[in-house]
Amino acid sequence: MPAPDDWTPRSDAYFASPLAQGTPGKQCGLAATGDYQPSLRSPWLAAAATVDVKKVARELAKDDGVVFSEDYVYMCSDPGQTAVIDAIKDNDLNGMVISCCSPTLHEKTFRDASELGDLNAFQCEIANIREQCAWVHSDMEVATEKALKITRASVRRVQHNQALEPIGVPVTRRALVVGGGIAGIQAALDMTDAGLDVILVEKQATIGGNMLKLSETFPTLDCSQCILSPKMVSVSKNAKITLMTESEVESISGFVGNFKVKIKKKAEFVDPELCKLCDDCTPVCPVAVPNEYDVGLTNRRAIYIPFAQAIPASFTLDEEACLGLDPVVCGKCEEVCDVGAIDYDKKPTVTEEEVGAIIVATGFDLYGMEHMGEFGGGRYPDVLDGLQFERLCSASGATEGHIMRPSDHKVPKEIVFIQCSGSRDPENHCAYCSKICCMYTAKHATLYKHHVPDGQAYIFYIDIRSGGKGYEEFVQRSMENDGVIYLRGRVSRVYEKDGKLKVMGVDTLAGRNVEIDADMVVLAQAMEPSKGTAEIAKILKIGRDKDGFLAEAHPKLKPVESVTAGIYLAGAAQGPKDIPETVSQAGAAASKVIALLSKDQLAHSPTVAKVRDPYCTGCEMCVDACPYDAIALVDGKASVNEILCEGCGSCVGVCVRAAIDVKNVTQLQIHEMISAIMA
Amino acid sequence: MVNVEEIRGYAAGLLEKGEVKSVLGFRRGSASAFAEPCTLIEASDAASLVWDPTCLNNLALYLVKDRKQQAVSKTPDTRPVGIVAKGCDSRAIGVLLQENYFKREDVVVIGVSCEGTGVVDPRKLSAKLKGRTASRVTFDGADGINVSVYGDGTETVIPAREVLADRCLECRAATPTLNDVVFGETVEARGYNEPFHAAKEAEKVSEDERWANWEHHFDRCLRCFACRAVCPMCYCPECVVDSTTFVVTLGTSAEEKANRIRWCERSANTSESAVYHLTRAIHLAGRCIDCGECERVCPVNIPLRLLNTKLEKEAFEMFEYQAGHDIEQASLLSSFRDEDPNSFIR
Amino acid sequence: MSNPSKTTEVQTFEPRIVAFLCKWCSSAGSDLAGVSRIQYSANATPITIPCSGSVSPMYILSAFNKGADGVLISGCHPGDCHYMEGNYLARRKLYLVKELLQFIGLESERFRMSWVSAAEGVKFAEVVDEFVEDLRVLGPQNRLKAER
Repeated sequence: MPAPDDWTPRSDAYFASPLAQGTPGKQCGLAATGDYQPSLRSPWLAAAATVDVKKVARELAKDDGVVFSEDYVYMCSDPGQTAVIDAIKDNDLNGMVISCCSPTLHEKTFRDASELGDLNAFQCEIANIREQCAWVHSDMEVATEKALKITRASVRRVQHNQALEPIGVPVTRRALVVGGGIAGIQAALDMTDAGLDVILVEKQATIGGNMLKLSETFPTLDCSQCILSPKMVSVSKNAKITLMTESEVESISGFVGNFKVKIKKKAEFVDPELCKLCDDCTPVCPVAVPNEYDVGLTNRRAIYIPFAQAIPASFTLDEEACLGLDPVVCGKCEEVCDVGAIDYDKKPTVTEEEVGAIIVATGFDLYGMEHMGEFGGGRYPDVLDGLQFERLCSASGATEGHIMRPSDHKVPKEIVFIQCSGSRDPENHCAYCSKICCMYTAKHATLYKHHVPDGQAYIFYIDIRSGGKGYEEFVQRSMENDGVIYLRGRVSRVYEKDGKLKVMGVDTLAGRNVEIDADMVVLAQAMEPSKGTAEIAKILKIGRDKDGFLAEAHPKLKPVESVTAGIYLAGAAQGPKDIPETVSQAGAAASKVIALLSKDQLAHSPTVAKVRDPYCTGCEMCVDACPYDAIALVDGKASVNEILCEGCGSCVGVCVRAAIDVKNVTQLQIHEMISAIMA
Repeated sequence: MVNVEEIRGYAAGLLEKGEVKSVLGFRRGSASAFAEPCTLIEASDAASLVWDPTCLNNLALYLVKDRKQQAVSKTPDTRPVGIVAKGCDSRAIGVLLQENYFKREDVVVIGVSCEGTGVVDPRKLSAKLKGRTASRVTFDGADGINVSVYGDGTETVIPAREVLADRCLECRAATPTLNDVVFGETVEARGYNEPFHAAKEAEKVSEDERWANWEHHFDRCLRCFACRAVCPMCYCPECVVDSTTFVVTLGTSAEEKANRIRWCERSANTSESAVYHLTRAIHLAGRCIDCGECERVCPVNIPLRLLNTKLEKEAFEMFEYQAGHDIEQASLLSSFRDEDPNSFIR
Repeated sequence: MSNPSKTTEVQTFEPRIVAFLCKWCSSAGSDLAGVSRIQYSANATPITIPCSGSVSPMYILSAFNKGADGVLISGCHPGDCHYMEGNYLARRKLYLVKELLQFIGLESERFRMSWVSAAEGVKFAEVVDEFVEDLRVLGPQNRLKAER
């Protein structure tokens, strides 16, 4: 249907239609509002149907129990709400239905207005005649008929609504942080500043995360470890933080304010209290495995300390690599340990902790090099990913900060950086932009030039995205002061020939093919959610987005909240971001938790299950069905713990005796709604 | 073969030692060859117990009645009750225990194996005798039923398969699994019909034929509620379909009186009767132990057992669930598995 | 999908559907259909419930008894239930309801269940449209409809 060009914006309909109920003495109010009339002349809106809200208001006024029914433009506006409050007071309403947009939008607005009119908030219901009706049907008559049914059903429902008061729930004033990278560290420290106790759970043997591996940070080029390690030390010295490394969240129960979390800690074969960091154990260990901290550029022993400033400061034993767990095979480190810190018989432990809120900061991994076959990723030792290059530049790295080729330890004189490696490629790799690669590639090239002044650095890029304080200036400096050559175009292939890495690319600005004989190639790999993100999301019942990152509750207005109340997100687990952004988000998440846990009590929704005692036989079907363990038998009858109950109604669905109901969504109310719709 | 003297002796022993307040069993009926339920109080009464293929009733019903009596009694006698139980009856006790209706120590289960046979279907027997009345019906060896006929005194042996109740033909557990003692042998392979045979047959006809059949059945329903009255699982204080016979007790609040729901009307219309029977079927899902009592007592011969066995078939085949087999398990509808059927969902 | 105009020569049968939508996924999905202005049949009137697990079989029987031509139950995809397990309980229970209704010969197309997430506005519209199309073929539901 073409958009009628002559459509003029009509005034948005608003109606408030209250009503008097059949039961003598009871009165019920109804009001409805909404902008159902296409008020914009855009083609896609023109196809939208309209609901004749005036007719809905008129018809509803005739119904039993309806004493007031009216339409109004923009009822959610301040004067609109005033009209609602007046209608309640003038008509002494004991129930109200607002026919308008989805309850997810303005239910709270109108329930607050109800309270101002001295009508209990829970006696106000929303009939959704916009998203579920006006916006999806084109025939006005049909849509109006459906809107009438929806509204009538809500009126019948509200006639049986009880006045309810929110249930006060005590709060556990402790928080759990999952992930001990910069996001988790920052969030934990911020929360302890506000007096909260924090449990910080980290999967690895040390906190610090990916930031620990970085050499310098853009755009200031300050040393990453130098700015991070003081924070790590603060964590270890902070009496309010319980640090649990080599630990993972196993399960969770409870709800906002009162979570119970089971945390599994790997067997602690080396007692950190006893270990005196003498390093007598590593020389005798016969096992060598790639060092995660050096991104595989160096090896470590099965007994090792991740790096010098590790927190907790202790050697640790890699369960998978160690031979000594089978004492017949090995037991060398235990023999040499003077203080007897090593015990191969230690078992994993599971502890249950009570916390009021959770921050998930599980960070990122780089997109696997094995996916980048065309660039020689995973095939040639001198094709590195960004983190490996960081380790080469770092004074604490394998080469003590000298940039040299892993293959022959020669200093690379020609180096090629490839941006968007795995990013922005929906067909083959990740669809999204990894956001930080433009900046860290500029940093890499700059660092390279500082280490190898006579070398040449090339960067292949698609765009340069340098939004951020001082970022653009930093990129310009790398081009102008450090002579980094930026080539706008993609690389088609990297292959080895005569000891060189041949980089076949294109310079689209110059319109020519480029061929570089490089000594080293660094791929700016995409960021992806860290391994285990899917599992933790599942355990915590929080959602993930299409790319696997943790989903925020609202992309604009709730960027640090997860969809589950009391669980917050921080850092790259929620999406690619750089350090300042991560720290900001961690602080934001921490302050959300601080605000949440600053109250003595949280308000819990009172729409919980209620047992109809005379009908309950104590068969326990509801007890088994309840996902929250909120029902127990007391004196042979089911009894609901209102604090635990979330009002899901699983109990209602299984009770063959109809002996349990969820308040304000009772079976009677559903029956009445079905009747209203089928009338 | 079960020796009835052993049952009598055991029952008498229980009563004599005062271990039970009563024993539920069967005695010779006064009107016909069919046994009738009885409650023994004295040990000397035990001699009247009988065991033959006419012990049709599911006596678990009387455990429910006892429990209801106790609930309203000012001086409840909480001693255990002994009960003679067939395989199906013991499963009923199992479901009642699973649902906490009473405790295991409240009941002494005198299990009796149906061995190779079971109980007769009075309608089948009557058809077989072509209008004549049986004076005595007994087991004849492993799989025969011996029938004496009134008047002429003739004795005929009828193959069990021809007169056994449908449920016995499909029975998978003819020996009480839940028991304190069992009389008779456990017979594994009984060689009659496959489990759920009748329900499977009923599934085979077309949708329209199925509806034609059920419409005919629901149309006949008198709403006498005999099916509900005889069912040990229909022990709810108030049935959800009882909108017009709403039970008002001292504990019934005004709000509850106002809030009763008329899910269906009591009038014996096809649609209302259909809703009643479907409600009863779904509320028995995972709870029906196939004693067949509902079907037996129906005055208009509605094959009610089919509705229940259809759902028990689905429970068994799709969810590996058998009612009354494990008193510790969560009920059928309050549990789930990840691999439950999903393909029917869009 | 627009509603057939009343001016068509033969009056098209307009089925009446009661749609029970869980608050967190399917109702949110249908809201998204609205926000996206996806047009679909107006035959299904929604009742928002907390969770598909809260659906009592009585709701379904009652809707048919009151004359519904079709009943739709829609919840979160397995694993996505806001209440963790409610949709699994629903799936088992409603499977049995479906089997029972088919067993007595109610046309099997009349009872439908779907998983619609909050992001599946398009799917919600498709589910409703397909259901309406199937019910148009079947005509009015008289088998369980009350005679009163």
